[in-house]
Amino acid sequence: MSRIRMTESIDLDLADEMWRCNRCGHALVSARENYKKGCLIHNRDPREIHSPLIEAEYNFAPDPAWIRIIEFYCPQCGTQLETEYLPPGHPLTHDIEIDLDGLKARLARQELIIKEGHLEVAT
Amino acid sequence: MPIPTLEQKLKWLKPEPATSNEQACVKLVSAGQYEIGLQRTNDLLDEAMEVFMRSSRSSIGIAGDSMVALFTAAGDLANASCGTYLHAIIQPILIKYILHYYSENPGIRDGDVWYTNDALYGGIHNPDQLAIVPIFYGGKLVAWAGAAVHTTETGAIEPGGMPVGATSRFEEGMNLPPIKIGENGVLRDDILEMTAAYGIRAPQMFVIDLKARVVGCERARQRVVEMCERHGVDFVVGLLRKMLETAEQSARQRIAAWPDGVYRSVHFADALGTRQGLVRSCALAMIKQGDRLTFDFTGTSPENNSSYNTHAQSAVGHMSNYIYEYIFHDLPISSATFASIDFKFPPGIVLNPDARAATSNAVMIATGAMSAMHNVFAKAIFPTGMWKQVTASHGNAGNALIIAGLSQWGLPFADMLAYSINTEGQGGRALQDGVDAFGFPWCVYGRAPNVESMENEFPLFIPFSQHWQDSCGHGLYRGGVGTTQLWVGYHKVPALFFATISDNSKIQTPQPLFGGYAPCTVPGISILSADILQKMQAGAPDITLDLQDMLQNHSIGGQWVSEFFGRTTRPVADGDVITVSFATGGAGYGDPLERDPQSVWQDFTTHKISAGVVDNIYKVVLMPDGAGVDVEATKARRDAECQSRLKRGKPYAEFMAEWEQLKPPDEILTWFGKWPTGEPTMPVFRP
Repeated sequence: MSRIRMTESIDLDLADEMWRCNRCGHALVSARENYKKGCLIHNRDPREIHSPLIEAEYNFAPDPAWIRIIEFYCPQCGTQLETEYLPPGHPLTHDIEIDLDGLKARLARQELIIKEGHLEVAT
Repeated sequence: MPIPTLEQKLKWLKPEPATSNEQACVKLVSAGQYEIGLQRTNDLLDEAMEVFMRSSRSSIGIAGDSMVALFTAAGDLANASCGTYLHAIIQPILIKYILHYYSENPGIRDGDVWYTNDALYGGIHNPDQLAIVPIFYGGKLVAWAGAAVHTTETGAIEPGGMPVGATSRFEEGMNLPPIKIGENGVLRDDILEMTAAYGIRAPQMFVIDLKARVVGCERARQRVVEMCERHGVDFVVGLLRKMLETAEQSARQRIAAWPDGVYRSVHFADALGTRQGLVRSCALAMIKQGDRLTFDFTGTSPENNSSYNTHAQSAVGHMSNYIYEYIFHDLPISSATFASIDFKFPPGIVLNPDARAATSNAVMIATGAMSAMHNVFAKAIFPTGMWKQVTASHGNAGNALIIAGLSQWGLPFADMLAYSINTEGQGGRALQDGVDAFGFPWCVYGRAPNVESMENEFPLFIPFSQHWQDSCGHGLYRGGVGTTQLWVGYHKVPALFFATISDNSKIQTPQPLFGGYAPCTVPGISILSADILQKMQAGAPDITLDLQDMLQNHSIGGQWVSEFFGRTTRPVADGDVITVSFATGGAGYGDPLERDPQSVWQDFTTHKISAGVVDNIYKVVLMPDGAGVDVEATKARRDAECQSRLKRGKPYAEFMAEWEQLKPPDEILTWFGKWPTGEPTMPVFRP
């Protein structure tokens, strides 16, 4: 078993060093890159998700000039893998930058094992 | 005496090396005695905490947003009772300051009472005040006890202790560096009068809360002395040291089990006090290597001349809320768990400002760091056996409502009422929804006050208190919903003033997790010259006391106002709807299209979410008779939505080509720093 669940819906496949969609298995991009580079990305007006409830400037919905919802989809099955609320044009966050070589070395030394998709300290 | 440097404060957060005596004493504590002794400290601290809460006068003290803690002779935190974790990590700094600078003059003696509230010297913000007593046995210093709680008055330029209009520390009222306020077990009357003078808007709250802290410390001190008498002082010294060692060892083992890497998150705020503008309140990289963590805040927006700054150790205090609650939840509340954690706070950011900075609203700007904890740790621990601990960010809004004036009992008061902050929603969790109205992210043990008590104490009429529909962030597991209340001025008192402390009217600070959504934003709604009292006195035929109905149908007449939630101090007339209070919901976890349709249906029938959210977010189709979920139609609807995603989503390069051309309007970037890197663009003047 070479896959580790890194998030609810993203796996790390150590066999080919790829990020994969946990739901459909699609290979997103190299695990040495930001997984977001392997996603389809949508810039969403926040009012589509947070409906204004009153007719006023302050209306329970985020202001689309201030903030956008960036949605990251699996290109194969359309699962929404991650979301970020960012001001327009703000750099996307490289949120998971794993030390891949270090992880593989610890697994090879059997310091860690993979059990049901999660890392455990070998006893 | 010098103001402690950042380096000193961060060093003092960590445990001191064991002395040779402590090393010898640890050997006296067997495994079984350790377990019993640890539990004994839990019990004595819980007892002291109960005494503390029952002795407090301010609303926050009564609600339990407080802490009693026990420290080694060198000032390291060995255990605590909560209350709030917020006060845990900062207290060693203050005790070590006393030890470092005041051991000779004025000296540290049995029966001393020390006091402080100055964030510059190691506190959170000046409403958070701390009493500390040394614990002597046989003439030897063996430990310290501390008791901390937020008091809602500091004698600042506005009532309530968190002046949104303060531009420097010189406008924030009382700021006491560590000072001896009592000797031989007696508090000094002149010092008490000084605090009463600072708390002239609410002297009974100020002075009684001060005494409550001392009472909490004293109960802990008495019990530790009894332990020394029963088990010997060497056992107590060895026990406290062993608690530090166990906590540090356990924390290091836990961290070491996670994959090495860098985990990042960014968070934003929309105001500094009442001045609106975009602020990157936290740009965080958590670097995990071996059994060590480093938190690097490079890229966070520059400091400013509002009260929305926080000294660095206060930011660490806010981070500890999450760390003690989720990561080290089963270890003693000990500063030793931070032994392998380092911090990088560049000078001049909102999380590490100049000494002159106003920081009374540290708790508001630190919401970014608090929220970031959920996201960076989620990504570090989800791959591990700790994955079930993963939780999206709580609401982390802290929409605080301040009222001040003369009560219906003729007493002056200035208070922050705990209901709207102690009933926020928890973030969605790895296996279930967040808890609705779970509590106060700054104080997970804090309680919501009884509404009848609020009405009895203050000139308020509160016709409804309810879950706030649609306030949660949506997802596979939604955040818990928050609450809403209606506040009406009542009792025709001679003076009633109101203010709110908040941001999140334009954007929300929490980021969602793993494909969920954040909670909605919060407007400041009030109704001047409202007719609700007249209508209710007439039987209220058209008032349902339901928020949605009120918003959609304006069932309460009067002059409706919708503005930024943060509002400066203003007078209130009898019968006005002072505000609609909002405790925000938690952030969502996972893709909403994966949420069980039956759970969506249940949320709809219990009014947690509206029909619009059922349809628009969760893409669930209800049966025509409203009796349940149309399973087939829902599946088709969700499949179609996935296809829509594939159609509208753009490959990375194509997306970035368009995205990088965008920029927020210049008029909201005044406080952000240079776009998009965040470096300062102008000096900060604080005359």
